[in-house]
Amino acid sequence: MSLTLRSSLLFILLMPFSLCVQADENGVALLKKIDELFRSNTSVATMKMTITTPNWQRTLEMQSWTQGMEDTFIRVLSPRKDRGVATLKKDKEMWNFFPKINKVIKVPPSMMMGSWMGSDFTNDDLVREVSLVEEYHVTKTELDDTYQLTLLPKKSTVTVWGKITIVVNKADLLPLEQNYFNEKGEKIRAMTFSQIRDFSGKKMPAIMTMVPLNKSGHKTVIEYVDAKFDSKLKDNIFTLRNLKTRF
Amino acid sequence: MLIVKLAFRNILRNRRRSLLTLLSMGGGFFLLCLTLSMSEGSYSNIINIFTQDHTGHVQIHHSNYLERPSLYKTIDKLDSILAIVEENPQVIGVTPRIYGPSLAYGKNKTFPAQVIGIDTEREAQTTRLKSKVKQGQYITSNMTKDGYYEAMIGYSLANNLALTVGDELVLISQGIDGSIANDIFIVKAIVGDANSYEKMNVYLSLPAMQQFLAMGQGEQSQAHELAIILEYQQLALSFAKTLQQQLSSSELTVAPWQVVESSFYNSMQADKKGSYVSMGIIIFIVSIGVLNTILMGTLERTREFGVLKAIGTRPMSVFNLILLESFILAIFSCLFGLLLSLPVCYWLATSGIPMPEPIDMGGIVFDTMLGEISWYVVLLPSGVVIASTLLVSFIPAMRAAQISPLKALQAS
Repeated sequence: MSLTLRSSLLFILLMPFSLCVQADENGVALLKKIDELFRSNTSVATMKMTITTPNWQRTLEMQSWTQGMEDTFIRVLSPRKDRGVATLKKDKEMWNFFPKINKVIKVPPSMMMGSWMGSDFTNDDLVREVSLVEEYHVTKTELDDTYQLTLLPKKSTVTVWGKITIVVNKADLLPLEQNYFNEKGEKIRAMTFSQIRDFSGKKMPAIMTMVPLNKSGHKTVIEYVDAKFDSKLKDNIFTLRNLKTRF
Repeated sequence: MLIVKLAFRNILRNRRRSLLTLLSMGGGFFLLCLTLSMSEGSYSNIINIFTQDHTGHVQIHHSNYLERPSLYKTIDKLDSILAIVEENPQVIGVTPRIYGPSLAYGKNKTFPAQVIGIDTEREAQTTRLKSKVKQGQYITSNMTKDGYYEAMIGYSLANNLALTVGDELVLISQGIDGSIANDIFIVKAIVGDANSYEKMNVYLSLPAMQQFLAMGQGEQSQAHELAIILEYQQLALSFAKTLQQQLSSSELTVAPWQVVESSFYNSMQADKKGSYVSMGIIIFIVSIGVLNTILMGTLERTREFGVLKAIGTRPMSVFNLILLESFILAIFSCLFGLLLSLPVCYWLATSGIPMPEPIDMGGIVFDTMLGEISWYVVLLPSGVVIASTLLVSFIPAMRAAQISPLKALQAS
């Protein structure tokens, strides 16, 4: 989730800054920029997540608030029977709330690699702090229209990914593709970014599609309906109290 | 027939010996019959217990649900399948079930629980679930006045979660549409005890379960399993075959209890084979005694056979004569054995042997060992006794048939 929801939301804030920056030869610098794009302030967004599996298909509508990289609050708006289900992430801890049974469940470390809300994104994706520059070594190759960044984890990094590659569009320095590989070098997940749209004056990809390659017939598509950036957020949003609020 | 008269005459000639042989074969028969009766009786008892308890005699699932259960392998168009099954006159009851493993919340603790959706009326007619309600009342498919569905929980689960009748039970599971199923239920009853099958289960009514897991309701009703009760368990195998043929176009698999409880069935078969070995030993010992008697008898009558052959009796006739004598002895010993064993088997089948310590199986107290009377229990020992006697008489008969008249008459 680090480069996905978070990144796209945070993209918006930093887009204007990034457009001023010149792309340089050093991959680290580019990655740093992408990283820094996500060093953000706040965002409030509405999005739709469509999950497809061989047995069922579901579309969730959600509202999300983020602050920096530590705090995320997501609330489900539809379908009706899931309305009010919420997720709070503060630092490295994560909780889910189910209004029908009025219970807050803390997500234990053992469930971190489990799927979030039944999608192909994991709880870990949401929680993991995004600092790719700090956690990965990066090399950059240049192609005709794109830069390709190859990220390998540093010795001290704890992660299940043996390698991550990011394909960045030269023109707007927005990512086109992000691929996740395991330690054996097998591609496990592929994420594509599409539909660059304008959100409150910032350009960013509105649609992210995550396809797990080790399961056939599964796909999760997140579409940003609208997003607002850098507005002042109330202090009490990222609290357990807010999580349990009747909505 | 001359040969028959001769055989009888020979048997009655030496009454004591014939009687002793009769008694030993009869005793062997008695032992065999009793062992079989107890074994069949005990197993039948156990089978009846678990089939009436929760398994049913025959079960229907979607394809390979039995080997690899999955929330998504459902029996659709439930009503039409139920109608097809109920058309069969052998069916006494049929009831649908839905299985959803869940996490159950009690006052302060959580516990994994198997949640089973049942058709409350049908289940009460098909299995003994209703009679296992220890506290509270059997559930209905209605909601309470606060709008919650009712639930029954097993004894051990109730203890683990510290819940009793009237408390709220919270369940979290996965819905068939991918959503996270979560809801509150009111505990209406506690079923079973610390040893029963139900001890870690939660029971919901079918509509409650279908709503909980977002499964089809009403006309699009779905279930994972159909359990069928027949008149008696011996009908299961053949009924399952015919029903499978009736449903061959669908993706449903019909399994008799032998397949559903295959591990029990296999160990039962293995145990029975073991007892066949011990019965074989009994017969072997009895047969040795019989062999001794007949061999002695034949040797004694060497001269007589010599004369017979001298006057022109065919060797085959001599052979047949001896075999016939043995056969008649065997028949009478079987009759004698039957006379002894039937009353005992009858007593075993009705009253049985009370066990010093009652064994609790599946919540049903098993305190007497019962026997069984059936054709199998009577015919198998008869067949074995007759066959072994004839087999054992073979050699003496051969020897007698090959006696040379010259040597026979010279020897004495």
